[in-house]
Amino acid sequence: MSGIIDIKDLCFRYSQENEELDLSHIDLHVNEGEWLAVIGHNGSGKSTLAKAIDGLIAPEAGEIYIDGEKLTDQSLWNIRKKIGMVFQNPDNQFVGADVEGDVAFGLENQGIEREEMHARVKEALEVVGMQDFAQHEPVRLSGGQKQRVAIAGVLALRPKIVIFDESTSMLDPEGRMQIISLIRQLNKKEGFTVLSITHDIDEASLADRVIVVDDGKIIDDSLPQDLFQKGNQLIEIGLDVPYPQRLKGELAQRGIDLPQEYMDEGSLVNWLCRSILKN
Amino acid sequence: MSIHIEKLNYVYQSGTPFSHRALTDVSLDIADNTYTAIIGHTGSGKSTLLQHLNGLLKPTSGSLTVENNKITAETKNKELNDLRRHVGFVFQFPEAQLFEETVLKDIAFAPKNFGKSDEEAEQIAVKMAKLVGLPDSVLQKSPFELSGGQMRRVAIAGVLAMEPQILVLDEPTAGLDPKGRLEMMEMFDRLHKEQHLTIILVTHQMNDVANYADHVIVMEKGRVIADSQPAEIFSDPEWLKAHHLGLPQTTAFAAKLQQQGVPFKTLPLTEAQLAAQLADMMNEQGGGLRG
Amino acid sequence: MDKMLLGRYINGDSLIHRMDPRAKLFLSFYFIVIVFLCNNWQTYVLMAALVLLFIKLSDISLGFFIKGVRPLIWLILFTVLLQIFFSSGGNVYWQWGPFTVTDRGLLNAVFVFCRFVLIIFMSTLLTLTTTPIEISDGLESLLKPLTKIKVPVYEIALMLSIALRFVPTLMDETTKIMNAQRARGVNFGEGSLIKQIKSVIPLLIPLFVSSFNRAEDLATAMEARGYHGGEGRTKYRKQEWKQNDTIGVILFIVLTAALIFLRS
Repeated sequence: MSGIIDIKDLCFRYSQENEELDLSHIDLHVNEGEWLAVIGHNGSGKSTLAKAIDGLIAPEAGEIYIDGEKLTDQSLWNIRKKIGMVFQNPDNQFVGADVEGDVAFGLENQGIEREEMHARVKEALEVVGMQDFAQHEPVRLSGGQKQRVAIAGVLALRPKIVIFDESTSMLDPEGRMQIISLIRQLNKKEGFTVLSITHDIDEASLADRVIVVDDGKIIDDSLPQDLFQKGNQLIEIGLDVPYPQRLKGELAQRGIDLPQEYMDEGSLVNWLCRSILKN
Repeated sequence: MSIHIEKLNYVYQSGTPFSHRALTDVSLDIADNTYTAIIGHTGSGKSTLLQHLNGLLKPTSGSLTVENNKITAETKNKELNDLRRHVGFVFQFPEAQLFEETVLKDIAFAPKNFGKSDEEAEQIAVKMAKLVGLPDSVLQKSPFELSGGQMRRVAIAGVLAMEPQILVLDEPTAGLDPKGRLEMMEMFDRLHKEQHLTIILVTHQMNDVANYADHVIVMEKGRVIADSQPAEIFSDPEWLKAHHLGLPQTTAFAAKLQQQGVPFKTLPLTEAQLAAQLADMMNEQGGGLRG
Repeated sequence: MDKMLLGRYINGDSLIHRMDPRAKLFLSFYFIVIVFLCNNWQTYVLMAALVLLFIKLSDISLGFFIKGVRPLIWLILFTVLLQIFFSSGGNVYWQWGPFTVTDRGLLNAVFVFCRFVLIIFMSTLLTLTTTPIEISDGLESLLKPLTKIKVPVYEIALMLSIALRFVPTLMDETTKIMNAQRARGVNFGEGSLIKQIKSVIPLLIPLFVSSFNRAEDLATAMEARGYHGGEGRTKYRKQEWKQNDTIGVILFIVLTAALIFLRS
């Protein structure tokens, strides 16, 4: 079956002087509508992978297919229409002078008619809940709001895939939760294929599948709940240990017998209540 | 070194059409050798308050006393320098302040500014690099060749090199990966315990407040709305919610258990505390069953 | 840094705010030219009356405009003093070596002062009532004929608008880095000249580094959003020339005629 993203034996290095490959023989298959989380510690090559998928860097070897179309110099601009990217730093991706101007930027690049542009900008701002800020300049927005504007800018282009490259890492807890729930909405309700590159355990736990990148290689590909069982090893691969897992560790140290399998917060609360309030 | 702040007010661009009040009647005390967390939303006045601690801003009215240095609106800029020697300030994303050719020179920059000879400054720099866990091999490298996490350590070493007694940290772990965050927080804890630094931490991470601080100040709209210990602040989830502040994960988790009927005398703050309480409850249960 | 008023937009919905930026840009430049027609009391009074009328129409308090003069006050005083001490002709009130104070000189000094103030008020009015993006859009459209001679007007306008967009961000960044270096014992603007020049390095290098990083990020983000040059791009914003703009232009033509008539 062909997926929306198919990567075959992709290799890349930033500079010919580098002895090591920055991406080394990557094979990846992503299904349409899937939410794939990409994790790895800083410098593992996960953002490089995202840039390669969007054709922002040229691979040394290997092939990338997006929606069945091979990524080449000729197909590049067409493929970019199918992919939207939201980056890490809210300030460094705000091109427009105000919110609506920024959302319109991608549309202007595609030469969309003005009427159509106004309709799409309005619609996209409504999806991210920023319609009341259309005329605001970036200085008057919080980091989370700027990221929502960046997402609107992507949505207005109606791509099939949205890539979030550590988009929540510079936000405060409130902004972070807003963006995570927005990603969830885009994937579950609007049906976008989502690739989220992240360190955030809450973000990764919502994904359908998680791949772990280390040293430019994919070293693991599993369901979130299987990955989370690894406990303290997660820290080494650039993720936090989920809270229930941490608590289980502490309890085990105090001689409490717990079920082996992964428990999310709800199931651990239930298990604890059952064991404490038996009578 | 202790800090005493009395009725401090600060107005930005006072006397212009853009003037606005950032701090209103702030009074508080920070004792020597404590670990204080300041929490509050963006725009609550946290950053403005921090900048006073370092003499980057002067009160519009009221006063700030660090040990014996009293700062008021009338204080001359020259005297602020004295304050800066005692208070080290690690800004958000401090790696942005690096500029020297080598890591060593960058760390030695502050002591040189404060009158140390080149040799003395370098000696201090080597010591501080070790203290923040930088390997010797990076000392002669350009700071711009290092990874993000290491650059941040260089910047922090550069602040510690002033040998301050008070260390102010403005969201020092922002943008780091979980491992980097943990290592960084453990490092500050070590500095607090081993070097006896008074630490003032501004953070959004309630877990860090619960794990490390012994004093919490909550700010809102330029005022101090709470000033007490973590255990007390986090014992009132309703109040925190009303002020749009979160709970540490442990406290939130325990609150869920409490709703299901698990009896807690006090809500725990850290995993270890929670696990201990739960283990006790389960052992009582077990004991009861056996008996 | 915060005291810079030029380039600061104040939100509003006045007659002046609603004018087409092209009209405002053109008339502001035109105003600067015709100020030089003024050479007696009548002409200056007329111009001042006009500027005050516009300020009134903009619903922005006069205080903002007076603040706008402040950063340039030394330049103005210098020019005024030159006029006072180095003019010749008319009755001599005082003389010492090369310095002469004459009635003509005093009068000229007053006029020079008025000219400065009028020009500053008018350009402040433009920037207070027009968003930076409107200004760059307006410029782009006024300069469009130049594309015929292969001037990359579109790219210049985009550059300008991005530059304007990043002014507040860079100001913030500058303040932050200055604070960080102050905390490390740098005293900006104190000590000997050499010391002061030296103190700029810890500010400039971090600023360059962060600006380059930003530029790289921004370029990547723009490319990811499909930017590949000005060709085939459409524009989201439309500029509308309205009746008020025409009235404005007519007003200025009448004004020019009146100035020519009144000047001596």
